Amino acid sequence: MSNALNHIRESAWRTFEVDGLPSSRDEDWKYTDLSRIAAVLGESWWSAEAGEAVSADDYLIPDLNAYRLVISNGVVDLAASEIPDAITITPLAALLQDDPDAAVELMLDDSDAPFASGVTALNSARASDGYCICVASNVKLDRPLHILHLSSGGAAHIRTGITIGNHAELEIIEHFAGSDSAAGVTNSLTAIRLAAGAKCEHYRLQLESGKQWHLGRVEVNQKADSSYTLHAVELGSALSRVDVVDDLNEPGAESELNGLFVLSGRQHVDHHTRVAHEAPHCRSRENYRTVLDGRSHAVFNGKVVVAKGAIKTDSAQSNANLLLSNRAEIDTKPELEIYNDDVKCAHGATVGQLDKNQLFYLKSRGLSEEEAKQLLTFAFADELLAKMKSRAVRRYIERAAFAKLPNLSGLEGILV
Amino acid sequence: MIKIENLHVSVGGKEILKGINLEIGDGEVHAIMGPNGSGKSTLSNVIAGRDGYEVTQGSITYKGKDLLEMRPEERAWEGIFLAFQYPVEIPGVNNTYLLKAGVNARRKHQGEQELDAMEFMQLVKEKAKLVELDQSFLSRGVNEGFSGGEKKRNEIFQMAVLEPSLALLDETDSGLDIDALRIVAKGVNTLRAANRSIVMVTHYQRLLDYIKPDVVHVLADGQILKSGDASLALELEERGYDWVRAEAHV
Repeated sequence: MSNALNHIRESAWRTFEVDGLPSSRDEDWKYTDLSRIAAVLGESWWSAEAGEAVSADDYLIPDLNAYRLVISNGVVDLAASEIPDAITITPLAALLQDDPDAAVELMLDDSDAPFASGVTALNSARASDGYCICVASNVKLDRPLHILHLSSGGAAHIRTGITIGNHAELEIIEHFAGSDSAAGVTNSLTAIRLAAGAKCEHYRLQLESGKQWHLGRVEVNQKADSSYTLHAVELGSALSRVDVVDDLNEPGAESELNGLFVLSGRQHVDHHTRVAHEAPHCRSRENYRTVLDGRSHAVFNGKVVVAKGAIKTDSAQSNANLLLSNRAEIDTKPELEIYNDDVKCAHGATVGQLDKNQLFYLKSRGLSEEEAKQLLTFAFADELLAKMKSRAVRRYIERAAFAKLPNLSGLEGILV
Repeated sequence: MIKIENLHVSVGGKEILKGINLEIGDGEVHAIMGPNGSGKSTLSNVIAGRDGYEVTQGSITYKGKDLLEMRPEERAWEGIFLAFQYPVEIPGVNNTYLLKAGVNARRKHQGEQELDAMEFMQLVKEKAKLVELDQSFLSRGVNEGFSGGEKKRNEIFQMAVLEPSLALLDETDSGLDIDALRIVAKGVNTLRAANRSIVMVTHYQRLLDYIKPDVVHVLADGQILKSGDASLALELEERGYDWVRAEAHV
């Protein structure tokens, strides 16, 4: 192992040992308590063993014509993957063994920066596999890339690095799923670098089992005139915390972050997003919606930072929440930090229940109370899914969300 | 078709309707006129089954059944239709499929076979022509981004598709320019039938220039103060409502 790699691994591990996991005393983790993880997964929870591996065939997205990368319990499964020729894809395990310096450069290069949290430090210390994906300049992959992360419990620390060259385009579907044969934790960090004029459409679908803890981080670094779109969907897991950090570093960069949570039971999902306008003439849009049933708890913290030189910034953020149960809870906090006057920034958050006038309108046209409620709930969620360009992904998520909201089967086709 | 007897209705503890008696026969068109705040909209909302209205006395019998016992959707299945004064926007819910669900829920309730997609689309296209509704409106969200006039036309289009026995048109003429009014009126007139009764709630005579009622009622202060034929509407337009009040309270 190279010295540089060793150094990073060791210092990350030391950071984790000293700091441990973030606690609810930390403002950023106020609502999300990871302290029970050891009680669920054991004292050495970060190396908990997985159950019997599941088959990728059971987790494919119908009608999705895509290349496929499969990671099973944190290990790349090349046999189950279909890798495109047009771009370079290297499993992290191979880099760590054969070319550690490249691994350092491409995956773990932020050694001087402080780790965002103990979770990130742990990921740097323990990441054993993942992908390094390079799309050369001007290349546009002919099909999307479906990255299927399968878990059957246990701990998996996965690091994915994606570099998209000048004016290149990539559509990726990061899809987390698995069986509930054992409890587990997924610790995934995906870093995406977009060169000038590059485009990335990023679906991040979290449909893990109800016994899984999901810890995710997405770091995006954008150069001039690049465009990044995220569709983050949270349907699964017992607890999920995802941090999205998007830096608009050069003029003309654009980003759109869309998030949808549909939660029931005692599910807990927390997204912290941070969009940094570092350069002039950048545009960001953020739209998060949650539908909360049972005793579920959602947290949305959306921060937009506009630097001093980032004039003509155009930023808008909205967060709308629908509570179906009086025991469900949402904590929402939009935050704006603006260091110049020449900007256009809007944000707003709403928390509500179903609209009585809409309910009555639907019933007066012959829909039952139950149908009307389900339909309005679904229409609220589906407005966000309508932003997805991939019809196959949209239908897949619709069906999965439908399944969490019973009694909608007779309404197939009713959505715009 | 419908018989309302001594109907008293309160909203938030305040009595709005104070003993309404009204009977509408099969195929009849009635106009209910009256000043603002007289309880006109309350009456149509109570018939359609909207929440928030407390019936403290009296009864409504519809096709021989106790209407007040029925849920709003049951009333729709039994053929009651309310054209809303303020049609509600429902983004994300497809206009056509809402109607398909409504039509089929009613057919199911009546023991008829549900329409398949082809049959339904044929029905919808034919009815859309009736109110000169552009095809593009069919696939949009319910009333989403429609202008005031388009919303009202959409209500009459829905009425045409749902083919009710009793249609309540709540201020359907308000907010319509003269061309839109003509189109809406033409649609309603086409839908007049021996087995379909229509109640028009309105402030103004002008709708009645296009849709001639069999009976005109004056609703003021929560009561029907006077009923007459179409000529009563003209008289009201000319003389206002005060003389009716004066006459009634003598």
